[in-house]
Amino acid sequence: MRFGYIFVFAGLACAAGKTNVLFFISSDCPISNSYAPEIQHLCGDYGKKGVSCSLVYEDVGIDESSVQKHLKEYGYTGIPIIIDGRRKIATRSRATVTPEAVVIDTKGDIRYRGRIDNFYAALGKPRQQITAHDLRDALDAVLAGKPVPNPETKALGCYIVPPDILGK
Amino acid sequence: MAALLPAADKVTFSENIAPIVYDNCVTCHRPGEAAPFPLISYEDVKKRSALIVTVTKSRYMPPWHATHGYGEFADERRLTDQQIATIADWVQQGMPQGDSAKMPKLPQFAEGWHLGKPDLILEMPVGFELPASGPDVFRNFVIPLNLKEDKWVRAVEFRPSARKAAHHALFAYAPAGSMARIDGVDGKPGFGGMGTVGIAPGQGNSGGLGGWAVGGTAEFMPAELAMPLPKGSDFLLQMHFHLTGKPETEKSVVGIYFADKAPERNMTAVGLPSLFGFGAGIDIPPGEKNYTIQDSLTLPVDVKVYGAAAHAHYLAKEIKATATLPDGSIKLLIWIQDWDFNWQEQYTYKQTFVLPKGTRIDAMLRYDNSADNPRNPSNPPKRALFGEESFDEMGGVGLNLITVNKEDEPALQKVLADGAQAAIRRGGADGTAKRYLEHQAARRPAAIAPRSIITLVDRQGKAVRTVGEQGSYSQPALSPDGTRVAVIRNDQGKTHVWVLDLSDGKGTQITSDPAPHTSPVWSPDGKQIAYISNQNEVYRKASDGSGQEELVYKHPAGPAPFITDWSVDGQLCFWSGDAVYALPLEGDRKPVVLFSGAGARGGRFSPDGRYLAFSSNQSGTFATYVMPLKNPAGKPLQVSKDPALGGIFWRGDGKELFFMGLAGLAPNGVLAVDLTLGPELQAGIPRQLFRPTGVNSPAQLSNIASRDGERFVLLAAPPASPR
Repeated sequence: MRFGYIFVFAGLACAAGKTNVLFFISSDCPISNSYAPEIQHLCGDYGKKGVSCSLVYEDVGIDESSVQKHLKEYGYTGIPIIIDGRRKIATRSRATVTPEAVVIDTKGDIRYRGRIDNFYAALGKPRQQITAHDLRDALDAVLAGKPVPNPETKALGCYIVPPDILGK
Repeated sequence: MAALLPAADKVTFSENIAPIVYDNCVTCHRPGEAAPFPLISYEDVKKRSALIVTVTKSRYMPPWHATHGYGEFADERRLTDQQIATIADWVQQGMPQGDSAKMPKLPQFAEGWHLGKPDLILEMPVGFELPASGPDVFRNFVIPLNLKEDKWVRAVEFRPSARKAAHHALFAYAPAGSMARIDGVDGKPGFGGMGTVGIAPGQGNSGGLGGWAVGGTAEFMPAELAMPLPKGSDFLLQMHFHLTGKPETEKSVVGIYFADKAPERNMTAVGLPSLFGFGAGIDIPPGEKNYTIQDSLTLPVDVKVYGAAAHAHYLAKEIKATATLPDGSIKLLIWIQDWDFNWQEQYTYKQTFVLPKGTRIDAMLRYDNSADNPRNPSNPPKRALFGEESFDEMGGVGLNLITVNKEDEPALQKVLADGAQAAIRRGGADGTAKRYLEHQAARRPAAIAPRSIITLVDRQGKAVRTVGEQGSYSQPALSPDGTRVAVIRNDQGKTHVWVLDLSDGKGTQITSDPAPHTSPVWSPDGKQIAYISNQNEVYRKASDGSGQEELVYKHPAGPAPFITDWSVDGQLCFWSGDAVYALPLEGDRKPVVLFSGAGARGGRFSPDGRYLAFSSNQSGTFATYVMPLKNPAGKPLQVSKDPALGGIFWRGDGKELFFMGLAGLAPNGVLAVDLTLGPELQAGIPRQLFRPTGVNSPAQLSNIASRDGERFVLLAAPPASPR
């Protein structure tokens, strides 16, 4: 699948010529928030390898100042953000949950969509040990020019409110 | 049934959904509470509708872990199948709001204390910093109570400050200062670990005071009941935190509500299996999905049941208890089918009920130690044994009850005590007790002792005098002439051998290097002290501190040795691992094994050097033994009747032996037994001399008594002082 649109919708997010990771998050979802440190680690680790990270806020009606407050609270620095108020990026990416990660390669193709890792076996059922680091595996594969072993996994967290509910 | 369901086109928020949400969700889903988002307005609920449908269908929300129909509990947080279907229908129909005039009233929640102003408000003196991420945090906090008299508690109301991180809390009390040795030693308030009083077996003079979990509200106990809270106790708070993604600070406030007087009746917690499975032989192979333990108890008297609770660690899957009445009918007590360590709740029955004498209670716990259990703490799965750590297992069902007739209390207590004793015996025989003690010893090194004062007592346990100043002492040993005490003293984490003069309390530091020191023992003439340094090196030095220390022997790496005696014929006695050794101080200085296996430790030579007294758990529980040394055919004779461990000392004439009794796994009482040495070794019936009331009972390593057996050296709790 080609994924050219995102550059139009969110020009600042996706640097052309780079592998991009979009993290769909929301400020009031506990699972999304609990991943804040891991998202920062991932962006640090893979930033060095030329990967570009973006945070895509999917809260209903969140404004710029609330986003800034949230970034500060959870220690996010230096990661570009997008407020996806109309769900355009989520819709194009087919992301349905926060937190969910989408990896787009340098050609604009979606190579991975799903969970960051398998810390949660189900809602309310965290593992004692993480046994699958799906996003890291996907990024390693993309950077190595190999096929992603599991290109799609089920993300667990809070549903992104679909646009048809927003307007009513 | 169909007629009860709302017509498909009539489900509205105002009339159908808001009542469900207000009754079941808003207690937590409102601003300032633990849940992540409010569910109050139409918009709030509409926004989360897809999530609400998913989590109600899976019954993740509202959180409730007991199976419906197995015991009818007060405050059951559970939606009916019909309510769940109604929510799904409403979403299917596009979530109409309906007539807002028909909205139910939002429940009113008390601001501040739910139960009114507490009689005593405790606050953690210092906040505990939680990191942003990582595994769940378990932390125990010690809050001084400074009670001037014994109290009885009707309710404990808990207010955590890190509301989103705090998941559950257990309350307990323990003797003041008894946790000082571990409290804050890592530089942060409290101490780690999931096992503590009220959970761990065998910790005397302590008890549970209930608990709290997310979504729970404090309640008073039934009027006729209250929980004891003795003076001289500290309040213990064990908390479990989920980390939230950002740093948080926990500084809990606890409100305690007292009863006016002692309750008529005492609530008894009947645990099955006894001691959370201490003697249940828990040994779960890796990969095993269906490992079960079971236990039964037949009630000796009629009881009235108020509530139930369950406890286990991460591998447990299923916990179930039933009662079979004498008429053969079965009462379902509780059934948790997907045990979640995060939800250790107290379940209170909607109505109390009587179980008649002769009722058999059966408890079953099932564990899943396969990789398919996402809660498995080990990856790949590892063998799990009984223990306190998160990768160990334990577990049981607790029933909170009273005997119907007050005069029946002793009969019930006896059955419970017998069960606990049997569990301790089994746990001794299968190695659980040994592992448990070693774990305790490793967790609470002798190097970190609570503050105490060296105290001499007589044969009745009455204090004769105190010696010197308060300090962090351990392993006191009286000199052979009874005029001095050698002791390990801890100053800022450095442990040194000191010798204190009984007459004026003046102390001399014997050791000087920064290595840890343990187990000082006097030479028979009192001129030298032998001790361990650097984990496995045996030294001796003049007892006035003069001259240089001499390295006598270096034990091979492995379990640390402890010296326990110095014989008249120039041999040191030490133990390491499960063996007791004699080490000649002259000649080749090669140690000889005197007895090995079965938890052997703490050996002491008879005054004539012909016998050895020591501790071992060869009978299944720790006991004191005497063994002839010069007769190769001589077998060890058990001289203690009830469990005993350490504190062994021979009177100078060899006709009386002292040792420490063991209650559960804690020392209780100095005992004495008359001995007849000779070809026919004979022992009388042990008698208790006194029960030491201190923070640190006589150590199993030391010379506890004077040669005439008239004076004993103890480490007593310092006089209470406001902290």
